[in-house]
Amino acid sequence: MHWTLLLAVEAAAEEGGGLFDLDATLPLMAVQFLLLVAVLNALLFKPLGNAIDERDSYVRTNLTDARERLSKAESLAKQYEQELAETRRQSQAVITAAQADAQKIATQKIAEAQQEAQVQREQAQQELDRQSKKRCKPWSSRFQA
Amino acid sequence: MELLNLPFNALPLAELEVGHHLYWQLGNFKIHGETIITSWVVIGLLIVFSTLATRKVERVPAGFQNAMEYAVDFTRGLAKDSIGEKEYRPWVPFIGSLFLFIFLSNWSGALVPWKLFELPAGELAAPTSDINTTVALALLTSLAYFYAGFSKKGLGYFGNYVQPVPFMLPFKIIEDFTKPLSLSFRLFGNILADELVVGVLVLLVPLFVPLLVMALGLFLSGIQALIFATLAATYIGEAMEEHGEEHGAH
Repeated sequence: MHWTLLLAVEAAAEEGGGLFDLDATLPLMAVQFLLLVAVLNALLFKPLGNAIDERDSYVRTNLTDARERLSKAESLAKQYEQELAETRRQSQAVITAAQADAQKIATQKIAEAQQEAQVQREQAQQELDRQSKKRCKPWSSRFQA
Repeated sequence: MELLNLPFNALPLAELEVGHHLYWQLGNFKIHGETIITSWVVIGLLIVFSTLATRKVERVPAGFQNAMEYAVDFTRGLAKDSIGEKEYRPWVPFIGSLFLFIFLSNWSGALVPWKLFELPAGELAAPTSDINTTVALALLTSLAYFYAGFSKKGLGYFGNYVQPVPFMLPFKIIEDFTKPLSLSFRLFGNILADELVVGVLVLLVPLFVPLLVMALGLFLSGIQALIFATLAATYIGEAMEEHGEEHGAH
């Protein structure tokens, strides 16, 4: 039964060794470890922690910046769209107005022309009447005389 | 007697030693040389990795910086989860060093072929398979959480001992002893047991079969490092925890 751990430990302990042999290694290791903490703090945790924090803030500011720009661009696009729609409406109105004007002018012109034509026709009629009266007069005076 | 000789150790392939140390004399004190040597190797590796990682810190990390940033981020997460967003920052180096040192120590026991280096006595192994290392780390953790509690609350820290009810006092006092005890023995036992199991299996079946247990051992080593660091962070967080109802009552 050599290989039970307990026996081995007991045997070793008799000679000042063994598994649970606490000695000056303990404080030395503690001091060593504290030094390691100090060294790693200066060498590793501080610089890399700073790097991580800086990157975080960099990414965050960039993100908010980009988000701001995106919202600005979106509002600009919306504004342009509104202006475009407004302009379309205005141009439509201008076109309708122009068409209405043209229509009015056309009707007016037509009416004027018709009136003029009427006038001319009446004049021509009067002229005709007059001339025919003049030509007939001698005849009638002759009959009266 | 101290050799763990298996009955069928007629094969001269491997041999298992437990409780043998290479003693260095330092004044009146004895030191386990093999533990100190391997811990120096681990510490050296950590320092080399850190130097390589921070030689030229860039915004877009690459290579070593990337790897170590992952480690730093991971340990920060550990500390943040257990201690809380507000207080965790000063404790990151301690928790992170605990994790990295234990992790590298455990893995060095499994991955570095220490047995190739002959020592006059004992053999090189993971520093965490020596109880001195684990007790040292556990006691430092105890000191750390006492320091955290006292620096945060002053003498009001003793109020923790009667929370939430006064009869918890003896249990809380016992806890102060069981915390480092369980921390150190858990780590020590796991790592030593892992190395022993691998050793015994290598004795029995020298080929292939130990690989499975070695892989399991790697996994276990990582888990143990994680457990130690998480528990340390939890204890520190617990010590600094505010008891809201206490302020309301008094």
